[in-house]
Amino acid sequence: MSQQSRTLPAPGQAAVRNRRLLEILGAVSIAATFIFLVLTQPADITNGLAGGSTLVALGGFLLGAILLIIGVLPTLPTSTLVLIPVALVLNIALGQIMGSTGLPFYFDAIGTVLIAVLAGPAAGAATGALSSVVWSFINPTVLPFAAGAALIGFLAGLAARYGLFRRFYLAPVAGFVTGILAGVVSAPIAAFVFGGTSGVGTGAIVSAFRAMGDTLLAAITKQALISDPMDKAIVFAVVAILAYALPRRTTLQFAFVRRFNVLAGKKREAPDA
Amino acid sequence: MPARLNPPAAPNPLTALAAAVAAAAITTAVSSWAVSLAVALACAMLAVRSGVAGRLAPAAAVILAPFWLSLLVMHGLFFPEGRTVLADWGAARVTAEGLGFALDMGARTAAYVMVFLLFSFTVRVPDLVAVMAARRVPPQFGYVLASTLTLAPAISRKLARIRQAQESRGLVLGGGPLRRLAAARLQMVPLVLSLIEDAGERAQALDARGFNGSRTRTSYRDVPDTAAQRAFRAVALLLAAAAVALRLSGQWPELPGFPLQGFAMLWPGGVPG
Repeated sequence: MSQQSRTLPAPGQAAVRNRRLLEILGAVSIAATFIFLVLTQPADITNGLAGGSTLVALGGFLLGAILLIIGVLPTLPTSTLVLIPVALVLNIALGQIMGSTGLPFYFDAIGTVLIAVLAGPAAGAATGALSSVVWSFINPTVLPFAAGAALIGFLAGLAARYGLFRRFYLAPVAGFVTGILAGVVSAPIAAFVFGGTSGVGTGAIVSAFRAMGDTLLAAITKQALISDPMDKAIVFAVVAILAYALPRRTTLQFAFVRRFNVLAGKKREAPDA
Repeated sequence: MPARLNPPAAPNPLTALAAAVAAAAITTAVSSWAVSLAVALACAMLAVRSGVAGRLAPAAAVILAPFWLSLLVMHGLFFPEGRTVLADWGAARVTAEGLGFALDMGARTAAYVMVFLLFSFTVRVPDLVAVMAARRVPPQFGYVLASTLTLAPAISRKLARIRQAQESRGLVLGGGPLRRLAAARLQMVPLVLSLIEDAGERAQALDARGFNGSRTRTSYRDVPDTAAQRAFRAVALLLAAAAVALRLSGQWPELPGFPLQGFAMLWPGGVPG
């Protein structure tokens, strides 16, 4: 028992517990904010600006996202950490490729879902939240959606953990379910912070529901339930294609992939022809 | 404290960040379109003074123009809560409340976008990263932020090279949706593969330099800070907290909102109903 160790202090049990606590607090903050918004919404939005709800939505979701980032980031191994900037740029660059093909999808979560599949739910959640934070340097309107992006990364990681990426047809199903949950969580942000959606197409769908007399939150939630599951199902399928197109040597670098056997294991590792 | 006699030309990044956060929080708490527009205008003037207006104006326009259009269609034509009907075309009704809501939300989002774009276009990212690391924000966050912002141009160059290489092998962009998807795959797979390979090399380089060590780091970059700036930050954040607390407690003194009556009187032919 030396009194003063001269080696680097290893992150002790207390540090690990603190980070776990931060993660849990972040998740609780996001969940509590969502429940509060859904419970209090009807009276608020009809009499003009929902100042209080906006502050709660912004504060609660952002606090949750930041806690998640601070809790998860220091626990990630360097090999995963260096992938996060790549994933964030992929979110933008692959969106650009899609734009050049003229297909009507956005695909702004491909990098996030790819990280989640390779490195697990915690890394996925941190990547999603970070993606919104860093992207907000170019487009500040994505910042409030950080909690929704974190949820997408977390659910994608869970899907990978329980083997939904082992069968190709299960990945879009997982994406569809993720899209439903992510859409429902993001809708209050669109309603209370921005008072609507930014795309003209999505705006038309919201308008249609409003014309039928829905409240703004209900209309935006229904619109999200139309758009998001489709988008996420395609994104999950694209990530499955990418993950299987990568050489196994690359995917097996990741402990998460090895440990939970995330990708279907065709063990016929042929020597390079 | 050598900077006290010669105040730096650019404020400390934390001062700018505190000012941006406080401005956004107070604007949201006040919830008045006039205040929001004033904040947006002040940001525009500051942008002109600091010489970033040429970059900020197109960035803000790309975000705000479709958003405003969407708000105008959504709330201008369909606002079931509206009572003061200005025009009635069957399903679509133009109401003063709807236009007022669109104006409120549009102005508030404009203020929010302008405030944060002004921050991100004037802040020096290396300074911001250095300051955050000194404040015990996990160094991984600074790495992700700085790396993403510098990686983006490099990746779009790489994508252009991949596209050229594939085109020289006979890739044809365009054609039916299936051929476009195939073309997208031929670009995405090499891009993702090479990005993951590069990231692996960076991880080794970072590990070799003790990136994941938990010790405090010495920074070569000395970001000047002054007592006046520290005081300004404290005051700005206190004001923001007070405004938010006042709004959340429901004690906010009601400001004159959208001038419904005046607007209705301006309407030719009076207001039906």
